[in-house]
Amino acid sequence: MPDNRAATQQATARLAEELGRQTFAIFDRSLHIRTVDTGSCAVCESEIRLLSAPHYDLHRLGFFFTPSPRHADLLLVTGPAVRAADNLLLKTYEATPDPKVVIAVGACALGGVYEENQLIHGTVDRVVPVDVSVPGCPPSPLALLQGLLIAVGRLQDKVDALSFDLDNESVS
Amino acid sequence: MSNTIGALIVAAAAGWVGAAALAFAASRSAGIRLCASVSGLGGLAAVVAGVLLAVHGGGTTILLGEGPVGAARFTVAPLAAPIIALLGAVAASNGLYAPRYHQASTGTALYLAVYNMALLSSLAVLVAGNVVAFLVAWETMALTCYLMILRHHERPGVSQAAFLFLALSEIGFVLIVLAFAILASQTGSLDFTTIAARAHMVPDGWRATAYVLALIGFGFKAGLVPLHIWLPAAHPVAPADGSAFLSGLIIKLGVYGIALFGFRLLAGGPAWWGLLTMGLGAITAVLGILYALMERDLKRFLAYSSIENVGVIITALGAGMTFIAYGQPAIGTFLLIAGLYHTVNHGIYKTLLFQEAGVIEHAAGTRDMDRLGGLIHRLPRTAVIVLIGTLAIAALPPLNGFVSEWMLFQGLFQGFRISDHTAGILIVVAGAMIALTGGLALNAFARAYGIPFLGMPRSRTAGAAAETGQPVAASGLLACVCVFLGVGAPLVLTALDRVARSATGRDIHSQLLVAKLTVIPAHTNFSGFSPTYLAVFLICMTLIPVLIWKAGRPRANTRRVPVWDSGIVSFKARMQYTATTHANPVGVTFQSLYQPTIHMERGSDDPAGRSGPVHYRYAVTPIFDRYLYHPTLRLIRAIARLARPIQSGDVNLYLLYLFIVVLIVYVIYAT
Amino acid sequence: MASWFYRGLRRGVVTTRYPRGPLDPWTQTLPAAPAFHSAQLTRELVRELADVCPAGALTSSDHRLTFDLGKCTACGRCLLVGGGAVTSSGEFLLAARDRSSLIKHIPIAGDGGRDGHA
Repeated sequence: MPDNRAATQQATARLAEELGRQTFAIFDRSLHIRTVDTGSCAVCESEIRLLSAPHYDLHRLGFFFTPSPRHADLLLVTGPAVRAADNLLLKTYEATPDPKVVIAVGACALGGVYEENQLIHGTVDRVVPVDVSVPGCPPSPLALLQGLLIAVGRLQDKVDALSFDLDNESVS
Repeated sequence: MSNTIGALIVAAAAGWVGAAALAFAASRSAGIRLCASVSGLGGLAAVVAGVLLAVHGGGTTILLGEGPVGAARFTVAPLAAPIIALLGAVAASNGLYAPRYHQASTGTALYLAVYNMALLSSLAVLVAGNVVAFLVAWETMALTCYLMILRHHERPGVSQAAFLFLALSEIGFVLIVLAFAILASQTGSLDFTTIAARAHMVPDGWRATAYVLALIGFGFKAGLVPLHIWLPAAHPVAPADGSAFLSGLIIKLGVYGIALFGFRLLAGGPAWWGLLTMGLGAITAVLGILYALMERDLKRFLAYSSIENVGVIITALGAGMTFIAYGQPAIGTFLLIAGLYHTVNHGIYKTLLFQEAGVIEHAAGTRDMDRLGGLIHRLPRTAVIVLIGTLAIAALPPLNGFVSEWMLFQGLFQGFRISDHTAGILIVVAGAMIALTGGLALNAFARAYGIPFLGMPRSRTAGAAAETGQPVAASGLLACVCVFLGVGAPLVLTALDRVARSATGRDIHSQLLVAKLTVIPAHTNFSGFSPTYLAVFLICMTLIPVLIWKAGRPRANTRRVPVWDSGIVSFKARMQYTATTHANPVGVTFQSLYQPTIHMERGSDDPAGRSGPVHYRYAVTPIFDRYLYHPTLRLIRAIARLARPIQSGDVNLYLLYLFIVVLIVYVIYAT
Repeated sequence: MASWFYRGLRRGVVTTRYPRGPLDPWTQTLPAAPAFHSAQLTRELVRELADVCPAGALTSSDHRLTFDLGKCTACGRCLLVGGGAVTSSGEFLLAARDRSSLIKHIPIAGDGGRDGHA
């Protein structure tokens, strides 16, 4: 009995993940990205801006920036979710039609450097649900590209398999 | 038929006399309704008379023989027919408008009496058959309009505006009298028909002088630049239906005067007359719309727009005269038709717009565009009617303004058919100026509709506007007339062709309308379009996508969400464009023409950054005041100062003057 | 012809081939997250590392060092303090779908667990 239930749970989990990947896979040929700054130092924005430069050229992958969230499929959120930007972030999130993907970009958005206090939330996922996290301060445009490709299911995460323990390579 | 027309005109005149008399009962609101109804009925009679006269535009009709006022003769000539119809339409519309607009009081009673006398004297101007009748009617019209403008004389600026109107009208009148005097003395008759018959015998110099004097004299009334400065002052301060009458009709009487001299009395002249008229018209059009864009006050804006449209009409008339002088009578007649058509069109939609400006002023409490906004939700029926009027005046198809301006452009573009290349180039330059005017007019009216009606109210009174109790039928009727004049253009053109035939002696019906519904500019291989088919096409273009959408509605869920506002906390009315900023690109482009006075002062000059409140003042004063009128007035005052010693007040000196004059007369008659 | 046309022909294609093909060699110099030698970690060292991290990515406990990759800014202070126990991992492509997969637990397997002696 317990075996069956465990097996069913595993199968359901795998199915859910597959479904999530398929939902995001509809974006894989053409994705419109809108950036939201919730109080960052703008260095993440510089790296994001570099994505449309010739060296990284995100247009070759079918990704485009759009100024209007109504045309966006994906939100790139930077900054430690300053409380004064709640209205902005929530309105942008609601204006983006479903299905949408939210990527939290940078150490600030993932909770680093600034702790939660009366001015900031600290992490973006306390305000809107986050689908992909891209660490870095700032993340290189290559890391951003990896994050975007993971979001649309063209790449698999590889950080899961890394342990960062050089004396023990298996994942804990 | 001529008897019917005559009877109708007498009926209209009687109606207006009656309305003037009944006006004294307008101290009560029932009195206003009665007076306005009679006035409106008189208007209807005039409309029918005008239409019949245009359609059966054959000979003239003699209404009154030698009357008691010396030799006052009234004849009805077809050239006046469109304007008689326009007069009737304006009167009928104002008849519907007045009861809901005016409050019952003695002031209103006097105003309505004077207004109906103005209607009567305008009709008299249009049916005047000899010089004396014309001049008497003209002066009466000017004086009654002066009294009309003084309706709210207790308000600041009104008496000055009315005085400006009267002063410039009188200067124009002097020139008109001189022009008529020259013609009458040279041809030896006071009757228009006789003058027209004998005009070719008058020496060229006198004819030219008469025409130029008439052009300037009537130009004062029509509103040609730089003779127009009374218009933006006087039209806004009159009551709304008075402004509508002034803009819709009175300035057309100036146009009628110029047409009278150019086409009927003098029966054409050398080409430079036409080129001069056309040039003045083109300059008027461009400057009119440029100054209109700088106006925040709705009624001043509409006044400047009237100046622009008069410029367009005069350009058409002038170009028509030029083409006729250069041996292209077909195109000349075509342009005359275009000019008359635009006269009628502008009268209709300008009346509509001024009436609605009155409605907006009453409902929203202000005429300042920068204090209005969001009226489309609060005054929905007004918004629709003003939209039709705005589309018409901005010359968008399929409405009437488009047809008349299209005709004007097609006529002007055929300047290459003239053998004299200089004249051809000047005509095309005039076409380019009118094209510039058209583009600026589109900008100006997008601003004039968008700022007050769309967006959020910029003041509390605008937010509290309500439509109950506002006059709607009057302007609604005019909106329907606009649509009819546009879609039914072939009918109108048939009538105007008959009118033009009497003026230029040429019937271009076959070169004007092809297959009954397509308009061509007097040449078959140049261009053509059908207003009726265009209207049908536009309706289909609008309906078909709607039908397709309704039939195959997408299955996806729709969600209703607020407008995306870049995530700001809330919209504030101050975040919107104002009328001034909307026109800023034009203001900067034409800065050297406007020569605005810009004044900026700060609280302090603290280099650390905080300099207190900053006051910025931007004002545009028309260049004519600065460079033409003020210097002229200074010159007149200087001359008066020099001449003052003559009027010393000393009786002995005056006796000396008498003695000297008698001596001189004696010497002259003795030799 | 414009000068950029010739310049472009001379330089060739400068766009990176990522995600197809290997990364350019210069990417090895990008700031990367640290990696730890768990065999050289002691409790004292771990407490020092947690104190010195300005981003709050390293937290210490009795048995392990918790390293939150998401919060790391690759400032390099833990490398200075940690001596041989901490080196740069060379990893900068760290995007993850699951936030919890960015939290790594490094066991404290150094000798100085009880003696304080490496």
